[in-house]
Amino acid sequence: MSEMASERRDRSGGLTDVANAFVWGSIAAGLLTAGIYFGSRGFKDFDTALIPYAGGSVLAAFGLGYRYAMWLRRPPTRLYWRRGWQTFLDPRRLAGNLVHLLGLFWRNFIAQSFIERRSPLRWAAHACLFWGCILAAAVTFPLSFGWIRFETPPNSQDSYIAYVFGVRLFEFPLDGIAAMLIFNVLVISAVLVLAGVFLALWRRVRDRGALAVQQFANDLVPLILLFAISITGLLLTVSARFLHGFHYGFLSQLHAATVILTLLYLPFGKFFHIFQRPAQLGFKFYRRAAAEGEPARCIRCGEIFGCGLHISDLKRVEAELGIRYELETGSHYQDVCPPCRRKNLALVQDRLWRDARQGE
Amino acid sequence: MMAKLPLPHATLVERFGPHPSHVPPGGWTAIGEPDRIVKTHCCFCGQQCGIQLKVKNERVVGFEPWEEFPFNRGKLCPKGVKRYMQDEHPDRLRSPLERVEGEGFREIPWDQALDRAAREIRRIQGAYGNDAFAVLSGSSLTNEKAYLMGKFARVVLRTANIDYNGRLCMVSAAAASKKVFGIDRSANPWSDIPKADVVLVAGANIGECAPITTDYLWEARERGAKLILLDPRMTPVARTVDLFIPVRPGGDIGVFNGMLHVMLERGWIDRKFIAERTSGWEEVEAAIRKYTPEYAGKIAGVPPKLIVKAAELWGPARTSFLLHSRGIEHHSKGVENCLAAINLVLATGRIGREGCGYAMITGQGNGQGGREHGQKCDQLPGARDIENPDHRRHVADVWGVSEASLPHKGLTYVEIIEAIHAGRIKGLFLICTNPLVSLPHRTFVREALERLEFFIAVDFFLSETAQHADVVLPGSLMEEDEGTTTNVEGRVILHRKAVEPPSGARVDWRIVCDLADRLGAGEKFRFRSPRDIFEELRLASKGGIADYHGITWEKIERMHGVFWPCPSPDHTGTPRLYEGGRFAHPDGKAHFHAVEWRPAAEEPDEEYPIILTTGRVVAHYLSGSQTRRIGGLVEQATQPTCEMHPRLAEKLGIGDGDFVRVESRRGALTVRAQVVTTIRPDTVFVPYHWPNDRAANNCTIRALDPVSRIPEYKVCAVRIRRVERPDDETASLPPEAGGVR
Amino acid sequence: MSERTLFIDGSRCIGCQACVQACAECDTHRGRPMIHLETIRRRDSVQTAPQVCMHCEDPICARVCPADAIKKTSDGVVQSSLKPRCIGCSNCVLACPFGVPKYFAEIDQMMKCDLCYDRTSVGKMPMCATVCPSGAITFATPEEIGRTRKGTPVNRWHFGREEVRTKVYAMAPPGRDLIQVTTGRTPTDRTDVAAMLEPESLLNRHL
Repeated sequence: MSEMASERRDRSGGLTDVANAFVWGSIAAGLLTAGIYFGSRGFKDFDTALIPYAGGSVLAAFGLGYRYAMWLRRPPTRLYWRRGWQTFLDPRRLAGNLVHLLGLFWRNFIAQSFIERRSPLRWAAHACLFWGCILAAAVTFPLSFGWIRFETPPNSQDSYIAYVFGVRLFEFPLDGIAAMLIFNVLVISAVLVLAGVFLALWRRVRDRGALAVQQFANDLVPLILLFAISITGLLLTVSARFLHGFHYGFLSQLHAATVILTLLYLPFGKFFHIFQRPAQLGFKFYRRAAAEGEPARCIRCGEIFGCGLHISDLKRVEAELGIRYELETGSHYQDVCPPCRRKNLALVQDRLWRDARQGE
Repeated sequence: MMAKLPLPHATLVERFGPHPSHVPPGGWTAIGEPDRIVKTHCCFCGQQCGIQLKVKNERVVGFEPWEEFPFNRGKLCPKGVKRYMQDEHPDRLRSPLERVEGEGFREIPWDQALDRAAREIRRIQGAYGNDAFAVLSGSSLTNEKAYLMGKFARVVLRTANIDYNGRLCMVSAAAASKKVFGIDRSANPWSDIPKADVVLVAGANIGECAPITTDYLWEARERGAKLILLDPRMTPVARTVDLFIPVRPGGDIGVFNGMLHVMLERGWIDRKFIAERTSGWEEVEAAIRKYTPEYAGKIAGVPPKLIVKAAELWGPARTSFLLHSRGIEHHSKGVENCLAAINLVLATGRIGREGCGYAMITGQGNGQGGREHGQKCDQLPGARDIENPDHRRHVADVWGVSEASLPHKGLTYVEIIEAIHAGRIKGLFLICTNPLVSLPHRTFVREALERLEFFIAVDFFLSETAQHADVVLPGSLMEEDEGTTTNVEGRVILHRKAVEPPSGARVDWRIVCDLADRLGAGEKFRFRSPRDIFEELRLASKGGIADYHGITWEKIERMHGVFWPCPSPDHTGTPRLYEGGRFAHPDGKAHFHAVEWRPAAEEPDEEYPIILTTGRVVAHYLSGSQTRRIGGLVEQATQPTCEMHPRLAEKLGIGDGDFVRVESRRGALTVRAQVVTTIRPDTVFVPYHWPNDRAANNCTIRALDPVSRIPEYKVCAVRIRRVERPDDETASLPPEAGGVR
Repeated sequence: MSERTLFIDGSRCIGCQACVQACAECDTHRGRPMIHLETIRRRDSVQTAPQVCMHCEDPICARVCPADAIKKTSDGVVQSSLKPRCIGCSNCVLACPFGVPKYFAEIDQMMKCDLCYDRTSVGKMPMCATVCPSGAITFATPEEIGRTRKGTPVNRWHFGREEVRTKVYAMAPPGRDLIQVTTGRTPTDRTDVAAMLEPESLLNRHL
């Protein structure tokens, strides 16, 4: 699906928007670089073999910062972003909000039940991809940033010590369950992701609705990228463990290429929702607060059709966007509820025909 | 054995429904492609729209419009859209049932059920005579099944008493058409409607009861045609027509005769056509003399100016089309109403040409074909006359029986119920009809059913009527069998089989053949398929009025249906009748019939001061036995309401949504009021698709037209009062089973 | 031949709901009808009107969407919200001048008429227009409409001072090129049968 319609307007914001986004992108990249520098104790813990990954991440951070800033320049986004934080941090609400946040976090991020109600198969695919990626990211990013590292203790060959930010965290035996899990975490996540990719594809090639609206760049490329990362990662493991490093160098370069490609894709396509989606929580708090205020009543039928705060904010957004709903009568079209808009439209059109008939 | 309910109605509802099905077989998912797509037709109503059913894993899982079929070009009403949800319905009967007092219905094997049915038929006919066993059938059956029912009654049971539920539907129009033209069929294909300069719609709620016809009307309007519509209610189509005449129920003749009076005065009649091609004009001219607009207006209950305006639109037009339906036909003067309407067509000579004609809108699925092939008490196949010796001989020869063995004319539908009530008929075979919802005066029908000694019902759901049966034989849906029907235009079309009936159920024709076999007439019912039956029907109808002899299933497929008469294999059918002014009477002329208005059987009086008129809603089909089981349709029209004008409501102290009790001399019903200005203040309207205390037919009158024997559904006298929410057992049932919400 | 699009003619609508029932059969939202069928004011009139998405050239729903979740395809079809993005805020529901988008709380997502993308993207007609028995919803080329209809197709709308242009057309009487939407006292299409029966009321519009 083209990003045309809204992107065109985003760009129309002009140079200042771009400059602003560039600044935010640079800040994000700078922060990550600083994080890597300090987290790896001035590159002391940094594994130079992982430079491409870290570099890719910094580039991705720039892209994400840039894109996020661009996104926040859109009037509705900016308003609800601000409103979300305002309501969340409101001292009178903060305690309740924190409790509510736990519930939201469980429902929307852990259980993701809203996806299950869309389609159980979709939920299963998403859950596999979600947990696979979370798991992989939790290991690979800190590793490539030099934030964690493993060393064998000087006096023993049978165990490992895990260091985080250079601080010794714990020691574990090489033949224990912890070791097995830690060394195989990427295998596990790769298997999860692959299962998710296959479930998603299985759905996408059979669901007639999905077949109609899906687009290669937006819906299939992400799956292809995840597939490529997982399969090359698995091949690396196979090569190292079972084939005495058969083509290991080539495979590791291939794997790095797929990862970096994906990192660079993050800000643009479907993956951006990973960063965008949490912003919905802000809206949820805003909606809760708005519902406690005055309701909005339709000026045509007198029925409640929304929250007063929401409607007045929407009018501000519309004004910023140049949507001119002010009516001659001094009223505002935004104060007409959707069912009344439909009825009114029908009456307006019917009136034209009646006038025409009477003119005959 | 008295055919009372074996268990309380509510208990039967729990087991047999109606339970609306809300989700199609396989769920609402859009996973995968269907295994096949079957081109067939909708089963709900006489328009017989083309539709394609999607089949997956031998279940009907959806539909796809069939845009190539010329009559409806993919168009469908909500019933057509959701019809596929009947397949795999949880209420489907999957085994023969036998009533057991206090226990309800017990499943029994087919052999046992059929043996018992045959035994009881023999016993009753042996004890009381052949005519003591009656057959009631339906016009939603295919031509093949309709033909089979007639043959079964006349050859196997040899009872005169077979009739069909078209008696409640098309017979007034049929009788009038036969009297005037000599043929009982719409005179024109629907493609003539848009070519007319003026269209008169009399008593047809087209938007709800024949929705597909709407586009034909609007097409005419786009071309500049003027539309005139008669109805006591402003129906959806009436809202934007050029002239809406809110006629008093039963006052239609006032409009027709009044229009003709004005046309005669202004010289808008075709004297040449009348002289050359018709007879009986003099009597008509004499009769309409007194129908001045003032007098006519008084009868019609409308301002005279509306009648003059109608005449001014209709009279001078170059081309015209008349459409009528139940609104003028469901009267104790239904035939006369139609005759008066058709006089307007004949007087202008505008028939038998492109854009000039006349049609009656059939109601039931096979409303046209169902009345042509011998399940009507006075007809033999091919619309032949059962009292005509030549006709009898032809059919007797096809059937291989002696002419003398054929019964003569029997009782009509309502009369059969009356004879059951009076104890003259003791046994009943019922298929494809649900009189306990669709007949007038419901308590009388229930009493009659309770007096039957033995009652066999064939149905795919346990209808309200079948609840009274001694043996219920599970039949099939239209999509589970194949066969032809004849649509509103006289176009013979083919229903194709999409899936097999559920295990335990059987195709209807097989049930009838099996029963014939047990009654010793098996050799005359050795059909291997509906196509075999159609081949015999072709011969039986050969040379008749409804001549199907030249129609083959291949020809139907090739031509998207074939219009009868089609007398020979090289004939391509007859879309338009009466071309060149050649009519079907022996004299070749059309016959005028002078008509005098007379009051309805029961006009309002002081005690019952309001007119009740009944009809349909778009979401439901006939007695609702099928559509009250389809979730989407139940949601669209959940329960009946009593439509009344605010003036009347105010007088009675009734507000919109209040519960009201509508009472006639025969019964009562309690529904919510719907207060609307779109109905005459002297009339209320209740749709009839619901059972029990929600049945409009609790109130309607068992008064019949002297010729067609159609009941007067459209006029009876009632009184109305506001009541509290009913709290009886029936009221608490789901609305689709007759409860209230 | 030019491309086919939807033409809506409210004066043809008979309120039968075939469109609503058929809309729920569309593969992109099976089981959930997206079309609206309004009964305008049953007490006074039998007027009904369908409302499909008009597929605006510059859709207001997309402009007010904070999540940037509403996209228009290159062929001008405004799609349902993107599932990963939509945050269920209902801005689009409230802002759409035609009152089209629907918010479904159980899936926390806005969905709307997508011109039956599963059908129109492969050359078929949308479900509603295919089944509509009255021709109130028609899928055709402007040439076909010009040949078969008295009215003029209009796709310019004024809501206050906001001008909206749409891919879907409404049929208006000849000579119109704009529909000015006012919300003042637009009289209901009052049809009082009792008034028609009074001999003095002969000036009513049905004469």
